[in-house]
Amino acid sequence: MTGQLLPLMVVVPLLGAALGALVPGTVARILLLLGPMLTTTGGIALLVTHRDTPVLAHNVGGFVPGIAIPFVSDMLSAVMLTVTGLATLACVLFALSVGEARLRFFPSLVLMLSAGVNGALLTGDLFNLFVFIEVMLLPSYALIAMTGSWRRLGIGRLFVVVNLVTSTILLIGVGLVYGVAGSVNIAVLTEADADDPRFQLAVAMVLLALVIKAGVVPVHGWLPRAYPATSAAVMALFSALHTKVAIYAIFRIHQSVLDGATAWMTVLLVLFTVTMLVGAYGSLGERMIRRSLAWQMVAGVGYILVGVGIGTQLGLAAGLFYMVHHILVMGSLLLCAGAIEHVYRTQQFVGLSGLMRREPLLAVMMALGMLSLVGFPPSSGFFGKVGIARAAAELDGFHIWLVFGAVLLASIGTLVAMSRLWTEVFWGPPLEEMPSRGKGRTDALVVADDARIRLRTLAPAGLLLATSLAIFLVPGPLWEWCLQAAEGLQDLAPYVEAVTGK
Amino acid sequence: MTVLPITAGILVAGGVYLLCHPSLVRIVFGITLLSHGANVVLLSAGVSAWRGEPLTGAGSPREAGDPLPMAFVLTAIVITLAVTVFMLALARVGRDDDTRHLPDTGEDHRA
Repeated sequence: MTGQLLPLMVVVPLLGAALGALVPGTVARILLLLGPMLTTTGGIALLVTHRDTPVLAHNVGGFVPGIAIPFVSDMLSAVMLTVTGLATLACVLFALSVGEARLRFFPSLVLMLSAGVNGALLTGDLFNLFVFIEVMLLPSYALIAMTGSWRRLGIGRLFVVVNLVTSTILLIGVGLVYGVAGSVNIAVLTEADADDPRFQLAVAMVLLALVIKAGVVPVHGWLPRAYPATSAAVMALFSALHTKVAIYAIFRIHQSVLDGATAWMTVLLVLFTVTMLVGAYGSLGERMIRRSLAWQMVAGVGYILVGVGIGTQLGLAAGLFYMVHHILVMGSLLLCAGAIEHVYRTQQFVGLSGLMRREPLLAVMMALGMLSLVGFPPSSGFFGKVGIARAAAELDGFHIWLVFGAVLLASIGTLVAMSRLWTEVFWGPPLEEMPSRGKGRTDALVVADDARIRLRTLAPAGLLLATSLAIFLVPGPLWEWCLQAAEGLQDLAPYVEAVTGK
Repeated sequence: MTVLPITAGILVAGGVYLLCHPSLVRIVFGITLLSHGANVVLLSAGVSAWRGEPLTGAGSPREAGDPLPMAFVLTAIVITLAVTVFMLALARVGRDDDTRHLPDTGEDHRA
């Protein structure tokens, strides 16, 4: 793969979106499947390419570097592209199997979202990062409004307003960066004076916006409220794409532009460990499957960003590894929850019981997913946590205890929260004998005795889970990629050389 | 020189004040003000009083205003416009926050 092909990662899904809007029906749904498949293929091609060439860059239109719109790909973006592509594919398969993809503009909107994600992962310029994040958000607003009920529309407002205000903060930050450094090109900014307090403040504005989008405590409040209000397929899509793109940008900007800002390590580590704890224990107050999982997403953000807080090559690689694990496992759990909702018409603990006997395959899949979230083998979560512990072990006294203590406490919190979910949904009397079903607000829909989740509704979740298990069995290649990506974040010479041509 | 920062400050303050209201229409106005504040900040990065007009023949290119922030602002304005339209549509079809009146759709609002 050469640099000239990079813009295609954005152009192809966008063209697909346009075509899907023009020709609805089967054609649109085929395009919907092709989009994420091509993204994943492109991501894998980039992974192969980056074994030899660390960085690919292309200045759109052949303008001089500094003025041109740069597309840059390195190991970090290649890993992200592959994983987000795979997760999108699973969500799309799920949406097709439950019939959500039949909504008129669903295929176009998802393809547009995917174009925005690919653009944000490949851009080498802060302003274009803002533009691509907006390209991601606009179809997301429509997806929430489209797949929801009146109540969802009300919560959709929360999502829209929070994201708009955050984007404005991001825009102001980008403006300030331009004012101070005279450029918004990341490769040029690596040479800016990272000790200049004005520059630090400007970049801090950008990071603040990204931290809100990622859902870090104390600016996480919108995430567990807004995400569960969408449909399961859309929530899984958002969970794999939105917060993760923001985290990717934090990795990139914090390392390349601020040179890691090691002086702030303690503050960052405290923030991120608190995020882990709040997320892990937040689930305990919830009475619905997807709301409970949404809090675990917040916890996951904490784990991933602890890698940035540690800031060594090992730390960054561990954070990235955890991110891959989290996208896969969270996606499979959410799609399993969506399958339950599709057949049993509720996601409330009150309305569900005894699913273990009724749906053995689903029970096994969810059990594996939950064990993975807690960090038990056999799943990718085990190595995710091992990686973070290994990286944290190289810190000095206080920080070691901070990270180790938080990982331990948060894992216990996740374990308790997940066993509660398990007891409520999978244990207990069979559904027909359950006294609470049919009473109160959750009632009305009676599930037929022979209603079961179909295999092809579970298959997308299975795809993600199987990838996670494969990572447990053969963690080597992914760990190597993560290490190389972390190296690319620390040794910036190849990146700068590829973009500016110097 | 101080006009731009003060303008940006007033716009942002007004925007934040309006955002604190529960009504979506007010929030839309608040966001409009906020994004105009952001645009002024962007402009102040390059097209301030110390630069000349970026027109051919009006002065030496070395002193002319920087066109890049203007391009940023143009892009930002387009995005804000699209979002404003979407939010006004949401305000119309969703709940009426001002009077707590729920539109009669036959759908259950409780669950």
